[in-house]
Amino acid sequence: MSQTGKNLNRRQFITSGAIAVGALVAVGAGVGYLQKITAETRINQDFLRPPGAIAESDFIFGCIKCGLCVQICPVHAIKLAGIKEGLAYGTPYIDVRTQACDFSCDSMQCVETCPTAVLYFKQFKVAGEKAIEKYDKLHRTDKNYNPFPVQIKAMKSLVKMGVAKINTSTCLAFQGKGFKGTPRGEDFKGINRSPYTDDPKATLVRDKVYDEKVCNLCVKECPIGETAIIMEDSSGGGKIVPKVLKGCTGCGVCVMVCPTEEPSIVVEPIKS
Amino acid sequence: MFGNKNKTPLPSKSKDEMPYAKAGLNLKEWRNSHVNKHKWRTRRWSVLIGINLLFVVSVTFDLSLLEGSLSGSRLLGFYLMDPYNTFQVALLSFITGHWKYLTMNFVIGFSTIFLFYFFAGGRTFCSWVCPYHFLAEWGEKLHDYLIKKKKIKEHSYNISLRFVFWVGFLLLAVLTGNLVFEDINPIGILSRAMIYGPGLILLWILALIIFEIVYSKRFWCRYVCPVGTTWSMVGKATPLAIKFELDKCAHCLDCQQVCLVPHELWFVKKGAATKEVHNAGSDCTRCGLCVDVCPGNALSYTIKGWEKIL
Repeated sequence: MSQTGKNLNRRQFITSGAIAVGALVAVGAGVGYLQKITAETRINQDFLRPPGAIAESDFIFGCIKCGLCVQICPVHAIKLAGIKEGLAYGTPYIDVRTQACDFSCDSMQCVETCPTAVLYFKQFKVAGEKAIEKYDKLHRTDKNYNPFPVQIKAMKSLVKMGVAKINTSTCLAFQGKGFKGTPRGEDFKGINRSPYTDDPKATLVRDKVYDEKVCNLCVKECPIGETAIIMEDSSGGGKIVPKVLKGCTGCGVCVMVCPTEEPSIVVEPIKS
Repeated sequence: MFGNKNKTPLPSKSKDEMPYAKAGLNLKEWRNSHVNKHKWRTRRWSVLIGINLLFVVSVTFDLSLLEGSLSGSRLLGFYLMDPYNTFQVALLSFITGHWKYLTMNFVIGFSTIFLFYFFAGGRTFCSWVCPYHFLAEWGEKLHDYLIKKKKIKEHSYNISLRFVFWVGFLLLAVLTGNLVFEDINPIGILSRAMIYGPGLILLWILALIIFEIVYSKRFWCRYVCPVGTTWSMVGKATPLAIKFELDKCAHCLDCQQVCLVPHELWFVKKGAATKEVHNAGSDCTRCGLCVDVCPGNALSYTIKGWEKIL
């Protein structure tokens, strides 16, 4: 190559390189700005992360948007966010009103499958092993020795997607009302197999018929049970209402089965 | 690659030494006698469509064949990870301390794909797997047609630009704490659109392909895509290559016409080759278009060192 050719080539590279750097800076600035304005909206009711999600600021860089968690969920609770979520676009979330995480899976596969560990599995594994150890000491000689359900329950109790919050002004129980029929209408496609059913076939929310004197669907269907939500006479006036306790995992089954037009119970994500 | 260019070329062949003379034809007759059956293109497009279809089939029928998307997947339960994503996540992990959480699957996924493409030819990914490549290949045809009709002008840049982008996107990821590139990566976007359903982001792909058709040929693949650049680096010492044999070549340049990265076929010009046998460099996508088109079968797939072993 001649000397002038080389110089020309170098000049061409420097000019287009400068444009490239400019483009990168523009993209970077745009991303920085979007990150700032979407930080608040990203973490709201509609944007619950799957179980085991690490802090949102870390989640956003670690998630490679592969969608493995989406595919492995047996009730298809996990979806990928659309472009309106800004930089969270393509990352997984759970819309609990449409389909809650009902904990009917075998081993919390969504967390286990995550290749970059933004859904962090080790904590659940440790909790499960501890539960087995404890169970072993007590039941080793039992005829029906089966530590599996205990292990799974210990793992699932550790989930903290958010905390349920009751809207006392619309909740049927707070108004002393009962509930009869199916909570979400005939066309609702949501699946609810909890709590711990052995039935391998998915149970649709619309197939269940209730007849309650005081509406207690959220308590009845909670997969975690009495450590998460109970019916209680909290004011002492003989009125029994649901009360969310510390054990709530934010799975959202209560939101999914809530019969009021707008759900009277919502899951607020953990802000960390 | 550059070392070869600076060597003194071999003397040009005389007319009698040309392959068409040996066959008793003139150049035009010899070129016309070759029927392009598009053997390798058919195979390649089948593989490309097949792999992307396997993703879709797996998600539609809930099978564990090939789950996930092209940025990260599981083939029969075995993890595979996109290398550029891996670099970004690894780099950011060391900064934020997330590396403590990273699993063995992350390492396995990256090493498997790295080793596979190390042996299968680096940029082989581009023409045999990448869904954007499929669109861009058609875009390139349209672009060439418009150039031929003199409707548009060609705008080409220095191909080293992609290294600026490769480092740039890595730096951007660190500075913003976000996988910026994955937001605009057409491979991931198209893969997700096929597997999880389309979204508005496809407008970006449309804009990109239109830009490539009317302004600059294969702009994204040639000058920007850090994934392709990564594969190009992975494939530097790969055994799978396109072999060129000087004695079978008549310098008709049909291969450079169809080549997706013509600078890798620099040795086919008359008086350019410095050796009797050349292998195309690491930017070659092993697409096989040149193998299909060559009238003298001077270009063929080869596994370097294979003959020695045999």
